[in-house]
Amino acid sequence: MNAFQRIGAVVALGLTLGACATITPVPAGPMAVKNEYSVTLGRMWSDVSPILVGRSKKVRVLSIDGPFLNRLYVTEGLVPGEGLVRSTVKERPTPMIRSGMSANERMEFVADSIAAMEYQRVEASAPRPAKFGSANAIRFDIEAKTPEGLDMKGTALVAEAAGKVYVILYLAPAEHYFAATLGEVESVMASVSL
Amino acid sequence: MRTRIALSLTAALAIAAAPTAAGAQRLSGERPSAGSVEEGFWTASDKAERAARTSAELNTDPALNAYVRGVACKVAVEYCGDVRVYVLDRPFFNATMAPNGYTEVWSGLMLRASNEAELAFTLSHEVTHFERNHFLEAWNAEKNRQNAMLALSVGIAVLGATAAVNSGSAEAARSIMDATGNLIDVVYLAGMTAFFRFSRENEAEADALGVRRMAAAGYDPRAAATIWTAVRDETASSQFERTRKSEGRLNVFATHPLTRDRIASLEARAASLGAGGDDGRARYRAAIRPHLSAWLRDDLRRRDYGQTLFLLNRLAVGGEDLGVLEFYRGEAFRLRRQDGDLHLAEEAYAAASAWPDAPPQAFRELGELRRKRGDVAGARVAFETYLARAPQAEDAWLVQDSLQSMGNPT
Repeated sequence: MNAFQRIGAVVALGLTLGACATITPVPAGPMAVKNEYSVTLGRMWSDVSPILVGRSKKVRVLSIDGPFLNRLYVTEGLVPGEGLVRSTVKERPTPMIRSGMSANERMEFVADSIAAMEYQRVEASAPRPAKFGSANAIRFDIEAKTPEGLDMKGTALVAEAAGKVYVILYLAPAEHYFAATLGEVESVMASVSL
Repeated sequence: MRTRIALSLTAALAIAAAPTAAGAQRLSGERPSAGSVEEGFWTASDKAERAARTSAELNTDPALNAYVRGVACKVAVEYCGDVRVYVLDRPFFNATMAPNGYTEVWSGLMLRASNEAELAFTLSHEVTHFERNHFLEAWNAEKNRQNAMLALSVGIAVLGATAAVNSGSAEAARSIMDATGNLIDVVYLAGMTAFFRFSRENEAEADALGVRRMAAAGYDPRAAATIWTAVRDETASSQFERTRKSEGRLNVFATHPLTRDRIASLEARAASLGAGGDDGRARYRAAIRPHLSAWLRDDLRRRDYGQTLFLLNRLAVGGEDLGVLEFYRGEAFRLRRQDGDLHLAEEAYAAASAWPDAPPQAFRELGELRRKRGDVAGARVAFETYLARAPQAEDAWLVQDSLQSMGNPT
């Protein structure tokens, strides 16, 4: 099999898998995240996880207007060696949870994971104390750009409890979309029941 | 990326155009004739240049861009008016000059060149490709491959559009189209990789004339071999076996095999021109100094800590910027987390803290590692130094929390 045939085979497989992927509605109300915790959605979202390549298995991605206009990453408890983004090439490893991470390192983990999603100029700022259900957490803001230069904003809630790290991350274009859904995202973050 | 697809289309449509001037020396200010193959390249390159102007990766520091442009002009000489240089913050070793004079210099190259002469050689090499119209030779060699790529791209686009039409919602359609776009990118990249593979003869000519061009501009020609030697050695320092075995193919398109013979050839050419000339080390370091920290942070995000540590050693040779460099050495060890690395990280942060240019974060990380090791007194000193140096730090409350959690000093 020559290089073209290999590329063709990969492309054909990707198209086949892509065609099978389905986006499912997630109704308003409580949403269980595995059996570890739950959040309450104030409106219907769409689960776009199946069409996002490179997502870790423990990450669920919800959207309202499509994955390029708003994304809400909701993770199960991540243990050391796991991350938000899955590495497909050994020589390009992705950020992973490590044991004994400081709060600054957990912020760094989220920012580096966003950079690994091909966003540029990723900056985390304004860390502040927060709650993830009953657990102490850290909340911070994100600024980034798409490779084409579109300004993105985000906010993240990260907690460590019983040796697992939990992340809720919201990303959207800075113009209109971030603010349009921020209220709903704030409610979701405040609704965590761990 | 739409621009890139357009590039393939434009270039493919130009196949049947006028005869080429492959290998011929171009005249300064020369523009391709209408309907020629080269005009297709220019159109595509113009689009790529417009995209670069709004790219998130564009480095917008006017002083840095003016500096690199100045070096490019110094070696381009008669083509100075044809060349437009853009510095892009991408942590890989690469520079390219398009047929229309649009030139990209990546921050990974800027970080790895140790002086102005090394930058001048890489630009001289690219100017030679430009001067000799090597693009056209490469295109003639690869156009059959490009035709295949174009056909595959069109096929994917049609399949993607069909799937989008059959999807149940606007969101699903948009996502499928985007996924299709990504697949086209894969095909595009494979084609571009082939396209940018200049022949061995083209590369040898670019090396030979490039060394001569940089020497004529007053630079020390020995720099041609030293930068490639450093790239080869950095590759050998990778923590990934596959990278170490790649014989120095650090640049993203893997087009420049770095053999011992090639480096020897560059050394021989430099020797024949005679030693001497300017290396511009101080000027170069002054130009990149404001960007060292951001570029090193980008480099760490590649997570090849073996290469980053090699790079830091090379940057530290002259004893400059040691507060910054030792801090990032500490960061590399902290992030790598192999056996003994946290101890090495603590040593590096401590070394950084002795220099006036150490970032305040060096003290915060030093405090964190001392705290983990149980050195409460040492951690307290480091944390308090951090708070004193960065009283407005957004994470000051986190550090104060750490101080409180360690209890009162006895």
